[in-house]
Amino acid sequence: MSEIIVALEKVSYKYPRSLDFVLKNIDLTIQKGEFFGVIGPTGAGKTTLCLTMNAVVPQFYGGRFFGHVFVAGLDTLDYPISLLANRVGAVFDDPETQLIATSVENEIAFALENLLVPREEILKRIPHALAAVRLEGTEKKHPAELSGGQKQRLAIAAALAVQPDLLVLDEPTSQLDPVGSQEVFATVRELNKELGMTIIMSSHAAEEMAEYCDRVALLSNGELAAVGKPEEIYSQIERLLANDLRPPQVASTFYLIQQTGIPTGAIPVRMEEGSRYLKEVEEVCTIYPPKDIRQARVHTSEPVLSIKDLKHVYPDGTEALHGVSMDIREGEYVLIIGQNGAGKSTLVKHFLNLLKPTSGSVKVGGVETANLTVSQLARRIGYVAQNPDNQIFNATVGEEVAFALKALKYPPEEVESRTLEGLAAMGLSNVREIHPLALPKGDRARVVIAAILAMKPEMIIFDEPTTGQDYRGAKYILEISRQLHEMGKTIVVITHHLYLMPDYAERVLVMGKGTLLMDAPIREAYHAVELLQSTYLMPPQAVLLAQELGNLTNQSLPKLLTPEELASCFHYSHNGRTP
Amino acid sequence: MGTPSGEEREVKFLGGASIDGAPVAYIVVLAAVVTALSFIPFSIVMATGGSFPMAQGVYQLVGWVLGPIAGAVASGIGALLGVFIAPQTAGVAPVTVYGAALAAFAAGTMVHGSVRSKWWIIPGVIGVGSILFFFGRALLVNGVSLKAVILGGGGQWFGVLLFVLPTRTIFSRWIASKNIGTVAAGLFLGTWASHAIAHVAQSSITYYMYNWPEEVWMLLAGIVPVEYVARCLIGAVIGTGVIAGLRAIGLVKPTYAIY
Amino acid sequence: MSMLKFQTVERDSFFTRLDFRPKLVMMAVISIIAFVWESPLLQMVMAFLIIIAALVVGVKFSYIRLVIMVMTPFYILLLLTHGFFNIDQVKALTGKSVLTPMFTFPESWWLIGGGMMSWEGFTYGVNAIFKTLSLTLVIPLGVFTTDVDTMIVGMVRARIPYKIAFIFSATLRFFPVLFQEIGMIIEAQRLRGLAMERMNPAQRVKVYAKVAVPLILGAMVKSQQLEVVLQSKAFSGSPVRTYLHESKMGIEDYLLIAFFVLLLIVATILYFAYGIGKFGGPI
Repeated sequence: MSEIIVALEKVSYKYPRSLDFVLKNIDLTIQKGEFFGVIGPTGAGKTTLCLTMNAVVPQFYGGRFFGHVFVAGLDTLDYPISLLANRVGAVFDDPETQLIATSVENEIAFALENLLVPREEILKRIPHALAAVRLEGTEKKHPAELSGGQKQRLAIAAALAVQPDLLVLDEPTSQLDPVGSQEVFATVRELNKELGMTIIMSSHAAEEMAEYCDRVALLSNGELAAVGKPEEIYSQIERLLANDLRPPQVASTFYLIQQTGIPTGAIPVRMEEGSRYLKEVEEVCTIYPPKDIRQARVHTSEPVLSIKDLKHVYPDGTEALHGVSMDIREGEYVLIIGQNGAGKSTLVKHFLNLLKPTSGSVKVGGVETANLTVSQLARRIGYVAQNPDNQIFNATVGEEVAFALKALKYPPEEVESRTLEGLAAMGLSNVREIHPLALPKGDRARVVIAAILAMKPEMIIFDEPTTGQDYRGAKYILEISRQLHEMGKTIVVITHHLYLMPDYAERVLVMGKGTLLMDAPIREAYHAVELLQSTYLMPPQAVLLAQELGNLTNQSLPKLLTPEELASCFHYSHNGRTP
Repeated sequence: MGTPSGEEREVKFLGGASIDGAPVAYIVVLAAVVTALSFIPFSIVMATGGSFPMAQGVYQLVGWVLGPIAGAVASGIGALLGVFIAPQTAGVAPVTVYGAALAAFAAGTMVHGSVRSKWWIIPGVIGVGSILFFFGRALLVNGVSLKAVILGGGGQWFGVLLFVLPTRTIFSRWIASKNIGTVAAGLFLGTWASHAIAHVAQSSITYYMYNWPEEVWMLLAGIVPVEYVARCLIGAVIGTGVIAGLRAIGLVKPTYAIY
Repeated sequence: MSMLKFQTVERDSFFTRLDFRPKLVMMAVISIIAFVWESPLLQMVMAFLIIIAALVVGVKFSYIRLVIMVMTPFYILLLLTHGFFNIDQVKALTGKSVLTPMFTFPESWWLIGGGMMSWEGFTYGVNAIFKTLSLTLVIPLGVFTTDVDTMIVGMVRARIPYKIAFIFSATLRFFPVLFQEIGMIIEAQRLRGLAMERMNPAQRVKVYAKVAVPLILGAMVKSQQLEVVLQSKAFSGSPVRTYLHESKMGIEDYLLIAFFVLLLIVATILYFAYGIGKFGGPI
């Protein structure tokens, strides 16, 4: 395990139109067979770093390049991209744009055909590549017939088929649901362990990266801030937070315990070690829960939305909802979780009258939605879709906010006053005349929200606002949801990122296979570990640790959710145990 | 960071595959836009009963964004796939594809600088030739009156005139303007002109097949202007939005884009 | 989703195993002949032969019915306008100075009183109808029976530049993604509270057309990543590459090409030498 497969020497790089260097004096070596992680906030240079390895940076983009990158001994600037494509398999974040062929087998063949691999050889490699990612039998399928996780596995298979020396994966799970994400991580790990494939992977999935990587590089503003084993990097909590990165919760927990003066030794970054450390620390501590654990507010207000025995059958016969009943009350903050295909979107579309119940009833403000138009409902319930760019129709921020108001023929003064209010609430007053697409992505979401606020809805639904976002981006939009909640709006959030939500949500709806599996306050829901796992949802590590702690101490601790709450249960006593 | 510590390297900037200065990837996605919009009928909003797919509102734009050749390739392939996937929607398939490609090509040749300043002659000749054949056949073979041809073919001859006269260059100058209102005006009239070229080229073929008598021409006199206005309005609305957006995002412009 | 890819016939036959090139020749020849002929009888015979061929190779009857349903209003328009109003042209074509009346509306009828439908005009309309039908149905006959892969390799073998063939195939891959996106964009627009039913037509056109704006901009942004993906997969647009799928012309392919070329030659000779296929000609 000493052969060097990638070496970067004093690499600096600037895109033709970037103001500053995107990579700055990077020195790095990666060994053959390593699983190497690259972490850093959006804009730190992760993608650029990945692209230096197949020479797309700089040969495709141009720009100024300093230093050397050697891949399998080849200086990437001395060989064409097409030759490096034979050495480096690349996988990207968006499952849609990286599949370019009309069938699974053509996808795998595409690069091979370009590389002049003979047909007989291509025919031999296709089954191997598919077997490596467990997609046998899908040869003739169109990519659109695959799930997100399958698409990414196909992209990996296509990259593998060229028999590269290394695989570079740039945020391959960021667009996936938890099942898809687990599929991809499992596949990549297997390739690494079974075939000895060198893996270079960037990702925001801290828990998984800590678990799987041999080493991790932390990029910060184009510089290599640190390189080391996951336990060295992910235990530097302050440094991670300073870089807008989220540490694994197990690490945060022990860091916080340490902060209270309890000696924990090192800070564990993987769950397995976490359990071991928990036992050790627990022995020198007295465990009792803090008194001020925040309990979810119980809302007794009128239901804004009321659903009874809702069933929905799509025209093709798929029964997507089998009798869902629930109420959402004014001022609640509700989280909806579940896999893709669990029925979340189908449910929410009924709130908005985009779908009509096959049977059962949906009432908004006491009125059957069947008697309301989409447009009337939209004035009561605002919907923020995942991709803000699909919701931007106008050439300035101000026009965007006023768009619907004008079309609904509000008097000009009211259009103006509501526009101003919407802009002010989202802090956009000073960019009114700017084109929305000239703003950063998080701000574009605010433009859409401002436009929705101008309609003065009672309820706002956020559909997967955190997908594809880094920690900072995700927190940013969730803080907006909090702000709106504080303004008195009813909030519904759909997300796969359970660990982000304890600070926000009060109540959780767990969907699975078209049914409402659970409807409970967040503490109950997150601690229904078996139920969550049965539908492939992973409870946050803090929840799992809290349960282990409860088992260790034989106490019925309150249902703790966060590293902070968990850490506050530990009270140092040299003889331990006795309260 | 101070200065990079590594030695500066000579970068062989190769770029990607392209056709006539437009990256293949741009052509692919815009062709896919055309195909997808081939299935979105505009009848939903047209009260006149006239229905055409929204794709027709973007053929010209594709020409302005990609340039004449790449634009014709994107529009043509996009329309061809629309035809292949749903032949029942296309009418006479080859004519549909020809019109889509020609509309984008004509739009792409509407330049105001010295580069390719003579290319407009090709669509110009096609347009004028088609209109002569088309109107000539109506007047001389099928006995349609001059009045009916002038009125029924009003949208077409007016558009062809706008295209072959120097008005063409004014529209393209407007499209390149910084003022979004001016851009919209340029797009409206530019759509009229380049659509008319494609329209007469298509009509000269279909007219040979259908030989519409006088009464149909008079009927068209009522419908065609409304359709032209609607189509140009669509072209202007979509075009302004897209051009303003492209400028804001700052994507690399294809060599022969005119926005 | 039904529109992911080409509709394909389920039946495997001699025809589905053919190369795409003879089918291209077939589509071209039939289109040219249908375009030129004006004989109602011959047009009708050709259209029926195409329908029968389509059914035999496995195009569903329901599809053919759909085409006819979609086109029926247009067909009625053709019959009525030609039957009642096409006078000068059919006179010139047939050399008759008086047309054969089929029926005449009584003079007393409002607006249409005195209108006469002529046999010549009517049959000219019939010619136009079956001409259109042949031109439309020859596409599914050729396309629905061809596998996309065969089609693309066939295009390359037919000397169509590889870049064009690639764009064709990649477009086929991406349009379902965009089509789905249109659905989301339209939903997003409706959810902004825009009530189409309360707008005047011009406003509706303006608002609805805006759906294409995020679609196109989003597609252009996607193309940036697409370029990087293509680079990573060693795509250069060069035709020098290997192909997974083969496209070999067999004896039956050559025979079919020969047949259609011959058909075109014979049709041309008959048309010019004997007027067969002309309106008012011997057949």
